[in-house]
Amino acid sequence: MPALPAADPAGPRTMLEIRGVRKAFGPVVALAAADFQLREREIHGLLGGNGAGKTTLMNILYGLYRADAGEVLLDGRPIQIRSPRDALRHGIGMVHQHFLQVENFTVTQNIALGMPGRSRLFLPLAESEQRVRDLAARFGLEVDPRALVAGLPMGVRQRVEILKALYRDARILILDEPTTNLTPQEVDSLFASLQAMVKEGISVIFITHKIREAVHVCHRITVMRLGRRVLTVPREEANDEGLVRAMVGEDVDIRRSVLFSGVSRKPQPSGGQAILRVEGLSVSTKDGVPLVEDCSLAVHAGEILGVAGVAGNGQRELVEALIGARQTAGGRVLIDDVDLTDAGTARRLERGVAYIPEDRLQDGFLPKGTVVQNLILGVHRRAPYARGAWLDWRAAFGAARRLIEEYRIRTPGPDAPAVNLSGGNIQRLMLARAFSSPCRLLIAHNPTRGLDVPSTEFVYEKFLELRDRGAGTLLISEDLDELFLLCDRIAVLYRGRIAGTLSRGEFDRYRIGRLMGGMEAAGARG
Amino acid sequence: MAERVLKGQGWPGPLALVVTSAGPYALGITVAFAAVGIFMAAMGFDVPRAYSTIVFTSFRSVNGFIQTLLKFIPLVLLALAFTVPLAAWKFNIGGEGQLIAGAIGAAAVGILLADLPAIVLLLALILAGILSGAFWAAVPAWLLYRFGINEILTTVLMNFVSFGAMDYVATEVWPDPAAGHPTTVPIAAAGRLPLLVASPPLHTGFIIALAVVVAVYLYLNRTTAGYELRAAGANARAALLHGIAVHRIALLSLVLGGALAGLAGSVEVAGVHHRLIEGVQSNYLLLSILIGLIAKGNTVAVPFVAFAIAALEVGARAMQRTMMIPAEIVFVVDGLILIFVLLSDVVRRR
Repeated sequence: MPALPAADPAGPRTMLEIRGVRKAFGPVVALAAADFQLREREIHGLLGGNGAGKTTLMNILYGLYRADAGEVLLDGRPIQIRSPRDALRHGIGMVHQHFLQVENFTVTQNIALGMPGRSRLFLPLAESEQRVRDLAARFGLEVDPRALVAGLPMGVRQRVEILKALYRDARILILDEPTTNLTPQEVDSLFASLQAMVKEGISVIFITHKIREAVHVCHRITVMRLGRRVLTVPREEANDEGLVRAMVGEDVDIRRSVLFSGVSRKPQPSGGQAILRVEGLSVSTKDGVPLVEDCSLAVHAGEILGVAGVAGNGQRELVEALIGARQTAGGRVLIDDVDLTDAGTARRLERGVAYIPEDRLQDGFLPKGTVVQNLILGVHRRAPYARGAWLDWRAAFGAARRLIEEYRIRTPGPDAPAVNLSGGNIQRLMLARAFSSPCRLLIAHNPTRGLDVPSTEFVYEKFLELRDRGAGTLLISEDLDELFLLCDRIAVLYRGRIAGTLSRGEFDRYRIGRLMGGMEAAGARG
Repeated sequence: MAERVLKGQGWPGPLALVVTSAGPYALGITVAFAAVGIFMAAMGFDVPRAYSTIVFTSFRSVNGFIQTLLKFIPLVLLALAFTVPLAAWKFNIGGEGQLIAGAIGAAAVGILLADLPAIVLLLALILAGILSGAFWAAVPAWLLYRFGINEILTTVLMNFVSFGAMDYVATEVWPDPAAGHPTTVPIAAAGRLPLLVASPPLHTGFIIALAVVVAVYLYLNRTTAGYELRAAGANARAALLHGIAVHRIALLSLVLGGALAGLAGSVEVAGVHHRLIEGVQSNYLLLSILIGLIAKGNTVAVPFVAFAIAALEVGARAMQRTMMIPAEIVFVVDGLILIFVLLSDVVRRR
């Protein structure tokens, strides 16, 4: 990890100031009166839970939303930002969580897209390519300018997005939850690039809800909650506990909460009935490239089995094969001793499988539907929602109202368009849906990704509740803390194979790390 | 364009739609009429009189009103043939081919099985129309299901096949030499739809159309199958991962659309022409897509929009007769309404 450069001793100057910005979406006030100051040559962490207003504030700065009140000052002068074009003209660039890229364009084409050239008719792509190469080298953002964006991993696509901003001479770079989809290595390389940018006089606003990352990489940290700034501290004065308190306010009792108690609990008596048995499962691409190989697992009643591993080691394919959305190349999948290897998703759901997908928006969400329509997806053929061929909307609305309350989904009501839900609320909806069905086996893939602390705790409580009810859970996660906290056993996936399985007593960060990196092939026990 | 219209739209919530869209619609209609009015004035026409003819013909006389209802029947059925697959995010642009196929099927039964008892013949004829239309859509639907061939292309192409088939049937198989236009011999009198109003004649196809509107609404909004269809249209991948057979639903939605269009064809044969006439499809395909888009795919709004468009069509024909202004001007108005409704949506979202 590169050392953090010391803040400018010559007295850091404030380059950007946001004063009293307010923004409401209908009845929901996203920003009450938000303040923010950014100095020159600093990485400024913007920390806060889901719905704290971090992204809204930055979207205002980037010209995507207009503030209802308040002002933005750049170098002491008030500026008007009406569109991203305005923002870029003032040297403000932003990298969103979801990239806006043309998939079948090359890296250079994506970066140069929309930039005025010398001629209206021709694009000097060769020049652009050279510039992309220069910028990439300068900031350590390794990309192939001629590669097609479609085939690139998330980390590289993010670099493209950062280069887009730098190419437009951004002096201020806003990164919205940049580490969400990155592998640990990619995170390291991103942080190194940020340091290089700061050295060249660029300031970075780093939106995150991960305290450790913020403390690790930022010079100063601002915490937001409920649309206001709660505090701004230099890194030296920041500590985890204080930041958590600022983020969650008084809503959650930190010491008593599941997250911080370290949870001591007895391991589940082994020899319970196996709910899910996977025997020698293999999955390949159409061209025969193996993605999951000879994978054997068992999830017992009342057990949470974790699957650890660096993203891209077959987790997604394994999950899809388990829920019946992907053809298997070999092996068997049994649920309650019934062979469902060739059964469709519908039959598995009937048998009591609930599923929380990794990619909520793509795999679990009906943006055109209402909240209630989303809540019954997958359980819509079961009582009480279905009565013969008919849907009982009254039952569905009743259940939806209950779930909205219980899972604290922030929405005007069951009939509200789902498209207005925030990311964290969408995840609450996914959970409500999964847990509302009579669930024998829960398959959850990165269920707390992108969630704030109270939401994460809420998920954990629900998981433990389900475990106590005697259901089995398969938890695929990249968050080791989460796995250590919740799981009875952890299987490590490396290049599509189970590299090893550890029981609760044997949990060891370094051992799992070695398994994840393929440095150890411990005796695999399914 | 349809993508722009329909993305980001909520699922049909009848009340919500009426409340939130009244503004843009009123604005769109006003601006469309104003724009075309300027154009007509520049050409030297009497704009107020032309407009009063267009708007009020349908409501000034019983005859005008019945004419409007007669146009409404095929338009509403064909618009549903477009919007039902659309709810599954499939684009059925083959409504007229399916209507023609339905008309051929109905005429064939009405001519060949003329000896059947009255009610049986009528039912057989209607059913033949529905099945023929469904079959005509099943071809593109199967190509989509089996090979993933884009349904927009294949449904359009099937229209051209239907023109040839219609021409063959009307000139070679059962031609009526007495008619001055490619036409089959009449169907048996027992195969005609009974009249609801004797004079001016309004056939019971109107009741069928209204029943279908209600049935489609119930299907899409109150049944699990309808829910699955709309879920597949909202996010096919999420639907698939939650146990919904999206490929089968895509196929089904297109076949259902075809059945609706086929029904329109048989109703036109049994209710209006009493034979297969070349040109039975009129300009219904374009109008029905326009209706579906103005209604933004909402099956509740479809009958109202269809009625309004039918009224404008009838008014336009009257204007053409009395004032020598080309009726196509109303098509321009229709198009402009759609464009302005879309524009006001875009502006509102800002």
